[in-house]
Amino acid sequence: MGLTISELKNIIFFENYSDNHLRVISEISSVKEFKVKEILFEQYDQLSDLYLLLEGTLSLGISLAKEKRIHLSSIQPGQLFSWSAVFEPQISTAWVMATGPAKVLAIDAKKLQMEFKRDCEFGFLTISKIAMTISNRLSDTRFHLMNQLTI
Amino acid sequence: MTPDSIYKVLRATVEEVIDESPLIKTFVLIPESPFKFNTGEFIELTLNGFGEAPFTPSSSPLITDKLEITIMKTGYVTEKFHQLKSGEILGIRGPFGRGYPVEKFFGKEVLILGGGCGLAPIRSLLFALEGVKEKLKRVVLCYGSKTPSDCIYKPLFSRLNSIDKFETYRTVDKPEHGWKESVGVVTTLLDQVKMKIENTVAVVCGPPVMMKFGTIRLLEMGYKDDQIYLSMEKNMSCGLGKCGHCMMGEFFVCKDGPVFTYEEVKNTPDLWK
Repeated sequence: MGLTISELKNIIFFENYSDNHLRVISEISSVKEFKVKEILFEQYDQLSDLYLLLEGTLSLGISLAKEKRIHLSSIQPGQLFSWSAVFEPQISTAWVMATGPAKVLAIDAKKLQMEFKRDCEFGFLTISKIAMTISNRLSDTRFHLMNQLTI
Repeated sequence: MTPDSIYKVLRATVEEVIDESPLIKTFVLIPESPFKFNTGEFIELTLNGFGEAPFTPSSSPLITDKLEITIMKTGYVTEKFHQLKSGEILGIRGPFGRGYPVEKFFGKEVLILGGGCGLAPIRSLLFALEGVKEKLKRVVLCYGSKTPSDCIYKPLFSRLNSIDKFETYRTVDKPEHGWKESVGVVTTLLDQVKMKIENTVAVVCGPPVMMKFGTIRLLEMGYKDDQIYLSMEKNMSCGLGKCGHCMMGEFFVCKDGPVFTYEEVKNTPDLWK
C-alpha cells in the first residue's frame, strides 16, 4: 500500500509534480518498513525500486571486505536513494542499512521507466530531481575527498 | 570597535584551560580591565618571549570581564600557548577588524554552517544572537567535524537546543562507537534543514575546503551573494593592515574583514587558498 496524493504532496521531493504525476507515483509505489540494523540492500545488489526515506535514519556506505563496512553518510527523511534502480545495469553502488526503525517509499523502477516513455514531462521532472540528488552526492564526496587530501 | 590604542597591550590572566579536543583548547582569560569587542572581531594574543598571534574570541561579546580564546595547536606559537597553565599572564591587543553585522540579521532566519575549529567565532556569534533572539526569526547551526572526538564545545549543542528559536545539527566524517547523529560532510546537513531562503542570512566559518564547498552549495540552493557571510581568517599577522600577509585581492583581511559577504570577495583570485 502506497501513499495518497495528499500525503505525497507533503514530501518536498514531489514539489512541482501535478496531481496526475502524483497519482502515477501512488499507483506504482508502496511503503516498506525496516527494523534497526536491517540491511535494505548490499553493495552490488540488483535493484528494483527507487527509494525515498519517509521516517527514520539510514546509513549508506561501501564495503572493503565482507565484514568491513565503511559508513560514509546518513540518509535523512525526504532524501532519495537507490537511484541506480532507474539506470542500467541497476546495480547498487553502496549498501544501505537502517540505523533505527525506518519507513521508506519504494517506487517500482520498471514501472517508473514505462511512465517516463509515456509521459515525457513526468520523465524529465523525475530525472532532473534524481540528477540533482546525484550531483549533490558527488559534490559531497569530492568535499570528503578534499578533506582527506588536505590533512 | 576601535581600541584606545592599536599598540596598547592589556594584561590578562589565564583562569582556566579547557580541553576541547586532542588539538584544541579554550583559554579563559581575565583581562586587567573590562574588554569590549563585537562578535567576529579578533584580537592579537601575546605570549611574552614567544610571539603574538591573531585569534577571534569565542566568548560572548556581552561579557567584558572574561574572555575565552580557543586555540588549535598548529605551529610553534600555538604549541607554546597550549603549554599555558592557570595563573599565567598573556597580553591582548585589539579588538581589530570588522565583525558580524548582527543588526542586519534582524527579522531574518540565520543559517550557520561551521566546521572544526571554525566554531570558535561562531560560538561568540551564537551568544550575541541569543542576546537579541526576540529580533530574529530562527537560528540554525549546522556543524561538522572529522570525528565525534574532534567536536568542540560539546555542551553548547544541548544548551542551544533548549533555547527558543535555536536548533542545532551535527555531523561527522567518520563516526565512532555510540555516535547517533548524522554521518557525512557538513553540506549534507543542508538537505535536512528547511530555511526560507529569501529571508535567510547564511554564515560560513571553517577550514578553506569546507568554506568553499559550503558556499558553493548555498549558492546552488538559491542564496544570493550578499546573503552569505564568510569569516576569512587567513594569514593575519600584524592586525593593522601594514605587513601585507593577509592581503586578499584588494582587501586586507585584518582591516576590511575578517567577516566579508561573498558578494565582496567572490572575484578575489585564489579565494579559497
